[in-house]
Amino acid sequence: MKLKVNGTEYEIASDWQDESLLDVLRDHLGLTGTRFSCGIGVCGACMVHIDDSPTNSCLTPVSIAVGKEIMTIEGLAANDGTLHPLQQAWIDEAVPQCGYCQSGQLMRALSLLREKPDPDDTDIDQAMNGNLCRCGTYPRIKRSIRKAALVLREVK
Amino acid sequence: MAQLTRRNFLIATGWIAAGATVLYKLGDRAIAVAPTIIFPDEGMAATWIQIRPDGSCLMYFPRMDMGQNANTGLAQIVAEELNISINDIEAVQPSTSEVPPLAVTAGSMSLTAFSRPTAIAAATLRENMRERAAKMLKLSSKDILDDTAGFRTTDGRMVNYADLVNLSAIYVEIDEESPHPNLYTFDTQRQKKQVGQPARPLGIKGIVTGAPLYSADVQMKDVLFGRAVRPPVHNAEIAAVDTTGVNTVPGFLKLVQEDKFIGVICKTPGSVNAAMSRLKVTWQVKQPINQKEIDRLVNVDKELADGNLENTFHEESHRSDANWKIDLRFDVQIQSHAAQEPRAAIARFNDEGSEHLLEIWTGTQDPWAMKRFAAMHTGLDEKAIVIYPQRMGGGFGGREHYEVEYDAVCLTAAIGRPVKVQWTRRDEFMAARNRPASAHRIRIATDDTGKLSDWWHAYISGHVIFARDRLPGWLLPVARLAGDDGVVRGANPAYAAPHQRVEYKDVDFPVDLGVWRSLNAAPSLFAIESAMDELALQLGEDPVKYKISQMKGELPRLKACLERVRDMAKRRPLPQSEGYGRGFACGIYEGRCFVAVSADVHVDREKEQITVEHMCCAQDVGMAVNPDQLSAQMESNMAWSVGMALLEQLEVGDDDIKSSNFDNYPIVRMAEMPSVDTAVIDQPAIPPAGAGEVALIAGPPAIANAIRRATGVRALKLPISFADIE
Ligand code: FES
Ligand code: FES
Repeated sequence: MKLKVNGTEYEIASDWQDESLLDVLRDHLGLTGTRFSCGIGVCGACMVHIDDSPTNSCLTPVSIAVGKEIMTIEGLAANDGTLHPLQQAWIDEAVPQCGYCQSGQLMRALSLLREKPDPDDTDIDQAMNGNLCRCGTYPRIKRSIRKAALVLREVK
Repeated sequence: MAQLTRRNFLIATGWIAAGATVLYKLGDRAIAVAPTIIFPDEGMAATWIQIRPDGSCLMYFPRMDMGQNANTGLAQIVAEELNISINDIEAVQPSTSEVPPLAVTAGSMSLTAFSRPTAIAAATLRENMRERAAKMLKLSSKDILDDTAGFRTTDGRMVNYADLVNLSAIYVEIDEESPHPNLYTFDTQRQKKQVGQPARPLGIKGIVTGAPLYSADVQMKDVLFGRAVRPPVHNAEIAAVDTTGVNTVPGFLKLVQEDKFIGVICKTPGSVNAAMSRLKVTWQVKQPINQKEIDRLVNVDKELADGNLENTFHEESHRSDANWKIDLRFDVQIQSHAAQEPRAAIARFNDEGSEHLLEIWTGTQDPWAMKRFAAMHTGLDEKAIVIYPQRMGGGFGGREHYEVEYDAVCLTAAIGRPVKVQWTRRDEFMAARNRPASAHRIRIATDDTGKLSDWWHAYISGHVIFARDRLPGWLLPVARLAGDDGVVRGANPAYAAPHQRVEYKDVDFPVDLGVWRSLNAAPSLFAIESAMDELALQLGEDPVKYKISQMKGELPRLKACLERVRDMAKRRPLPQSEGYGRGFACGIYEGRCFVAVSADVHVDREKEQITVEHMCCAQDVGMAVNPDQLSAQMESNMAWSVGMALLEQLEVGDDDIKSSNFDNYPIVRMAEMPSVDTAVIDQPAIPPAGAGEVALIAGPPAIANAIRRATGVRALKLPISFADIE
């Protein structure tokens, strides 16, 4: 079994082929930026993109992701290390507190901006409502999404 | 460790290999297991800062990071004293073998206890460098002036820190009593460059790029995966176990069963889940667990009918038969920490002759207590054990017990390979030491002019600091005689009345309790601020003006917060249509932090929905070391305020804890989060205090008071549901 994550092909050992995508990413491939929090698809901490679509990897058997393009938080910055405008906005607005939810937040925000390059408050509320943040960083997440959206529109 | 001097200890650990190190001396107090957990001692504050041969600065973080970002504030203080930027500081979270014991990270103590020692250490280091520069240049040290990362002479020559330290170790030790140089941090005349700036939290890039930071991110060769069954409450006993079929699970390696412990070890996390689902354990609880029992325990009215409550917090010419204008009972339900990260730990035993025989990687508020617990658990010498503290995905008071670490140690001992234990969300709820429920009876009387004459607040709460399992059993009854500081927090009202009585009783709950953000201050202030608001309404007074007029003597800092928040709230007009209301509340936390909050609420009768649309928060916690991080903590506390006021309640079943995940223990989501305006009131001359849990005391009553304005209904219990105000 092979898995393509952030452009790299990985071989999945036989013991791991019945695992969730999240556990394979974290404990088999060592890509631990995707976090585990609820395990039942209600918090978004484990969010990755499978063929560009935001997916909670805790509920996804790894077999489903075979043959697809998986993108995780580790693939968000450019190869030369340049941060994505979302990551930069997250730093500029000092979003994270404990930081545990933020990989998932960023991945969800990324797909929101793909669907809606200029989201309003309601768009943001709707898109981000499945991503919990116990620390309550929501106001800053909102600000950062708008900020990054502006940067991305200017680039285009 | 006791035989080693501090200096030798540091040399032995390689810490002062080269460069100039300053160490703020602790005094010779040893830390016992229980006291690190329950009595964080300000005197334990210690700090290590080093200027290395290349001139860069290394600092050991004295605090365990869990989102409060206290270490960033401390780094700002170091940078201010040394005339460097915080980006020039490399910060390291030390293992328990690298520095002598540090006190538990708890109760927002970080800045309060650590800011001054940190400033003294860094300033001493700076002045030591100045002396060296003077000697080197054969000048008097007063001709050596501050410059960036070093000094310049009056005739314009530059000396960098790098020129002043070399590969031999310089060691500066100071203690609490020695005289110290001028502290730039606390110099109100000084134009500060670092302190007072909105510096970004250290390590933020690692968070947004998904770097390994938390316990479960630690990768290890040959690691296996395991987990143990968690009891619904800590003191439950196993009545029966059925392990049928567990050994048929693919990837299953071992069942570990001893005394109260049942766990499995498997090859993969998924096989752990499958194996765990085969274990059927029946628990026997010591006290019936159900909501009725909890309601019975806190029934303050029944207890009052039988006479005074057990403890008097404060009494002054109390009259029980005053002409009460307010006579209300407020109830607050149990809340859980529900940190975003469920706990995880990795443990590994090493061969005889290794530096450490047992290594544990874990996110904990108290690494040194973990080390001691692990020694007691395994019989190993403490010296043979090391804890590598990891960043925590939220703490809020819930991470001080040797539990997930215990599981990892048991399992790794049973199989001889490192084992990673990742708790599930349900495990996390089971293990939580929750904030107790409490019930408050508040009675207030006034004279003819509306001035407060009588204040009577009686309440019953579960234990907080002296909850069982937070102390060894034999110590509990003794400790409880001393009074539970967590239970009385916030009980002292900000308002003056010539006749007062504040009394309370703390009781043992069937569910596990402990320290939760702001301890009992939030429940008490909910009752106090709701009652005062109701009184202002009855008297036809403006609540903000009325509260200010009734404050105890001069409380200028509290008054300033309340006035500020009123002005901030005005900037956003409240819609005039039906169902909108604005409420205010204020409070003092731990005698030194002041806060006021306003909330704009919309109650939609059709949708049967209560929405908090906007909140303002003004806070004064002394010197604002990092105003942006103070705002972040206020925002966080506003989120928790909405949760506490409208959503959160630990559901208790029949001898079971029903809340098991975010679907049945809802926390605030993006769409429920109000917009928030914050104001930091800076007091440059007053040492900073921690702000992690301050604003939570005023948020929930502000929301309740807004609902009262919107609907005419006084909310008497938290969380408030739409049905309560219909
Ligand atoms: S861990 Fe996957 S949604 Fe919460
Ligand atoms: S930053 Fe802590 S959970 Fe979001």
